[in-house]
Amino acid sequence: MHPFCDGRSRRDAIRLGTVSLFGANIGLERLLCARESGKSKKDVSLIFIFLHGGQSHLDTFDLKPDAPAEFRGEFAPGQTTIPGLKICNLLPKMSQCTDKYSLIRSFRHHNSDHGPADHFMLTGYFPAAGFNPSLNPNNQRPSVGSIVSRMLGATGSVPAYVTLPKVHPSGGPAYLGANHAPFVIDADPSSPNFSVPDLVPPPTIASNRIDDRRSLLQTIDRFHKSAEEKANSQAGAISTFRDKAFNLMTSRQAKKAFDIHAEPDKLRNDYGRNSLGQSCLMARRLVEAGVRCVTIDHSNWDTHDANFSVLKNTLLPVYDSAMSALFRDLADRGMLDSTLVVATGEFGRTPRINANAGRDHWGPAFTVLLGGGGIKGGVVVGKTDARAEKPISDPHGPENLFATMFSLMGIDPKEEIHMPDGRPVALVNNGKVIQELV
Amino acid sequence: MHLGMVATVFLWAQSLCAAQPLHFENDILPILGRHGCNSSGCHGKAEGQGGFKLSVFGSDPDADFMAIVMEMRGRRVFASVPEESLLLRKGSGRMAHGGGTKLAFRGEDYLVIRDWVASGMPRGASDAPFVTSLHIEPPSRTMGQKASQQLVVFARYSDGSQKDVTRHARFQTNAESVATVTPGGLTTTLEAPGEAAIMAGYQGEVGLFRVLVPQPGSQKINKQPQFNFIDKHVDTKLANLNVLPSEICSDTDFLRRAFLDITGTLPTPDQTRRFLTDKSPAKRQKTIESLIIQPEYADMWAMRWADLLRVDREPLGHQNAFAYYTWIRDSIAANKPLDQFARELVTAEGPSADVGPAHFYKVVTKPGDIASTLSQVLLGVRITCAECHHHPFDRWRQSDYYGMTAFFNPGTVKHPRTQAVIHAHALGTAMPATTPQGDKRLVLADWMARTDNPFFARNMANRIWAWMLGKGLVEPVDDVRATNPPSNAELLDALANYLITNNFDARKLITLIASSRVYQTSVTPNSSNEKDDRNFSRGYFKRPDAEVLLDMICQTLGVPEKFQGSPTAARAVQVWDSKVRHDFLKRFGRPSRVTACECERTREPSVSQVLNLLNSTLIQDKITHEGGNISLLTRRIADDNELIGEMYLRFYSRLPSETERAAALSHLKKSAAGRRQAAEDLAWAMLNSSEFLFNH
Repeated sequence: MHPFCDGRSRRDAIRLGTVSLFGANIGLERLLCARESGKSKKDVSLIFIFLHGGQSHLDTFDLKPDAPAEFRGEFAPGQTTIPGLKICNLLPKMSQCTDKYSLIRSFRHHNSDHGPADHFMLTGYFPAAGFNPSLNPNNQRPSVGSIVSRMLGATGSVPAYVTLPKVHPSGGPAYLGANHAPFVIDADPSSPNFSVPDLVPPPTIASNRIDDRRSLLQTIDRFHKSAEEKANSQAGAISTFRDKAFNLMTSRQAKKAFDIHAEPDKLRNDYGRNSLGQSCLMARRLVEAGVRCVTIDHSNWDTHDANFSVLKNTLLPVYDSAMSALFRDLADRGMLDSTLVVATGEFGRTPRINANAGRDHWGPAFTVLLGGGGIKGGVVVGKTDARAEKPISDPHGPENLFATMFSLMGIDPKEEIHMPDGRPVALVNNGKVIQELV
Repeated sequence: MHLGMVATVFLWAQSLCAAQPLHFENDILPILGRHGCNSSGCHGKAEGQGGFKLSVFGSDPDADFMAIVMEMRGRRVFASVPEESLLLRKGSGRMAHGGGTKLAFRGEDYLVIRDWVASGMPRGASDAPFVTSLHIEPPSRTMGQKASQQLVVFARYSDGSQKDVTRHARFQTNAESVATVTPGGLTTTLEAPGEAAIMAGYQGEVGLFRVLVPQPGSQKINKQPQFNFIDKHVDTKLANLNVLPSEICSDTDFLRRAFLDITGTLPTPDQTRRFLTDKSPAKRQKTIESLIIQPEYADMWAMRWADLLRVDREPLGHQNAFAYYTWIRDSIAANKPLDQFARELVTAEGPSADVGPAHFYKVVTKPGDIASTLSQVLLGVRITCAECHHHPFDRWRQSDYYGMTAFFNPGTVKHPRTQAVIHAHALGTAMPATTPQGDKRLVLADWMARTDNPFFARNMANRIWAWMLGKGLVEPVDDVRATNPPSNAELLDALANYLITNNFDARKLITLIASSRVYQTSVTPNSSNEKDDRNFSRGYFKRPDAEVLLDMICQTLGVPEKFQGSPTAARAVQVWDSKVRHDFLKRFGRPSRVTACECERTREPSVSQVLNLLNSTLIQDKITHEGGNISLLTRRIADDNELIGEMYLRFYSRLPSETERAAALSHLKKSAAGRRQAAEDLAWAMLNSSEFLFNH
């Protein structure tokens, strides 16, 4: 019944084009989609910045200065380089590079609970019954990075999917398996002595000793490339991972990418000497080295209390520097067209301000930012109502976001993967590419 | 009574052929189910699809009837112009439909719906017969490669009648690599030998067809001995598959395997030497019997139960969590019969800290969660699906879920949809007319220990089997259902029966398993069994639990680990608190005990685990530690040959072969940086080898 089985590449899918999945009217859509995929000539990588906790849309990109005081909050809109487009005046640097990114102001989904909403925004699928957000990983569906890893594969000796400074519980590969699990940089690149844990042997082990050890290991291991190893998939996986690990350890490409200390002080300062700033800089270095997807898990945007002072004093300045520096840096290096940047929380925040001068969880309306990788600059998609409570035009959800990201990366959102129980699952759950952005 | 039944059968049979009024539940819903309209990915989703919501898998016919007939001001169905009904226009793809064409225009299903609409959308008699069970013809078959079989699905109704429902059944295979099935029920085997279970679902009931595809070629002759009934059952199955078991493993492989599985520790060099020089034919048996009474056995198996029963200091506080753990460990050390262990847990009472198992109810607090957790842990059955709808792959209805919940709810439990009162009743049993008096939980505890209980003893046997062999007879171990059959039902029944007749004695069962030839089978595959991963024709590699792996490293290198807040724990397995921070344990998959699922403990390898083993300071420090084994051995033993022998005994619990000895010798000799460093490199390589990292 389903025309595309697991084994077929996306190029086959493009070539086959119009086999009907949902009936005659969808054939055209598939054709369009395949054509869009075909359009992307260069390899596009993804930097997915997760504003963990939920960024307030009313205090950043969708201000409502005319709303009653209990909604509009303390911040004022400011001019940007695009006439008519206003964003919060506490984002001065972002207001100067609006040509490099676009906003979906009419983004929404139906959930306002961290665990499921996180899973929805990081996988494109709302979790089904039995979802346990406390598991780590908790993925019922593969995360965006795992899908990219599976569909595009690794380039050279760097991993396809890297996450930093820690892994989000919904960042796992689910049924795509260990090979598409993230390489987790379990360290904060803004710390002065940052290094990737265990990437290199302790300093007491000289480099020539590493080669000796490696060949000794192969001699010693009686199961190396044995029938036993072949018959036991976990032993096979350890062996694959050992090769990957040695490649990483000995890769100059990887070593260089992870060495954030090589960046000039000036640029490091521009990004901001904080976790988000240095993570964005590290993401650029990784993409430059060939990583296909970097996800950044940045906390804590969950501003139930003192929303305005937390935003004003910490989160907005950090965000403003990091994001604007990333866009400028990517553009300066000619990487913006081949690097898609997406920044979003799991939801927005309640338009009505609560008793603690905070805002609570709000799935029904928020803003998602996208730039580079083929996204037009300066576009605002959709509108919310007078209190930013819900979209009044062009509503979009995670499915459309995923369809848009994947087709820009040359991945067919309709391609199907088989789950271990045999059920075919489309990469994206019926999403449509957001045409205004591409 | 009997006469009445005959009369109904007659009427019902007649209604099938004559132009009787169509019945919504019996005639219309099956069509929607068959075409996936009410699946969880479509209109069956919680929020519906395109404004049209059906109950998932047709679990709420009243709501579905309302949605189709009454909602949208009746636009979904027009009795006067039936073919203009949205239901038919969209379903047949004549009008844009996100789900595409589901009903062939004027095909058989289309016409049934059309006639139903034309006749004024009858709801149908409320006392019409309903489906009580399904069965597939044939129920099972041995088939060759690339062979086909058309399945026929029969539904049995509450009035005793039977009907062929093949056309409207949903089919699904559990092993696509062995046999596929078409939507029409034609099943076809592929080239791979093995087994598949094909499920048919219809009106909330499921039926099963089992196909076995033997390895082609002449029947192979199994020359391996049989030590007990386990071997007999496994060999029968292997003969059916025409697969030969691997040979019996070596003494050293057996010793290391039994130590790790039963006690979570490695044998000491002395223990290995003694075992190797022992000429007694009963030495394996003696080893098993001595391991099973060690305190390390209690540590190891208490950790497994503490995971499932969620010993967690976060909700309980230190003191209570420790009391809870102590109850578990003491029960295992005393070899408390498993039914008594379960009874104490199910009926635990009182806020007092002395009642260890009562703490379970402070970790899991809501009646629904208690019922589903205990079902999963003690019965191996997952009933959570049935909280909201009929279990899609099993027979559990909401009434079963709420029947179990009622045992733990002091108030009255009502069916969420029908609002009918549900009295406490155990899974698969009939609901009593009244709620049991007194502590209802006693009824549940009595039921579990009954000799005819279909779940408890099997679940215990299956879990113990999985802990010993690395894979359950039912897998996942806590997902027992009709559509997830055991790989060897006869063996599972025999093991369960053994538990029952031996007073639920866990030690006896573990001893029996470890004494079987199947347990003592080598990991080296032969040409017929290299692909077998569920019939125990060969030993399977097991990644030791995070705690065991860390203990193995500490034991081998002679440098213990210190654990925060657990001054008494010498080994990671003894750390009863899973919240103790430890990077290695976290990285290697220690569960945080937030669910009762065995799956929370992950054994999935990752690059970062491998990097940790290759490069971490934890490992390097233990290798180079001045008081550690490598330092001690290189100082104490001057002879390289002897040093290598000692290291092999410690890392691999065996002596090196001549080739291995020669390779290690040449490594020690050629190293310019000195003997100690060369020995450290050798230790590093041995520690990172699969032979060390796996239990095999």
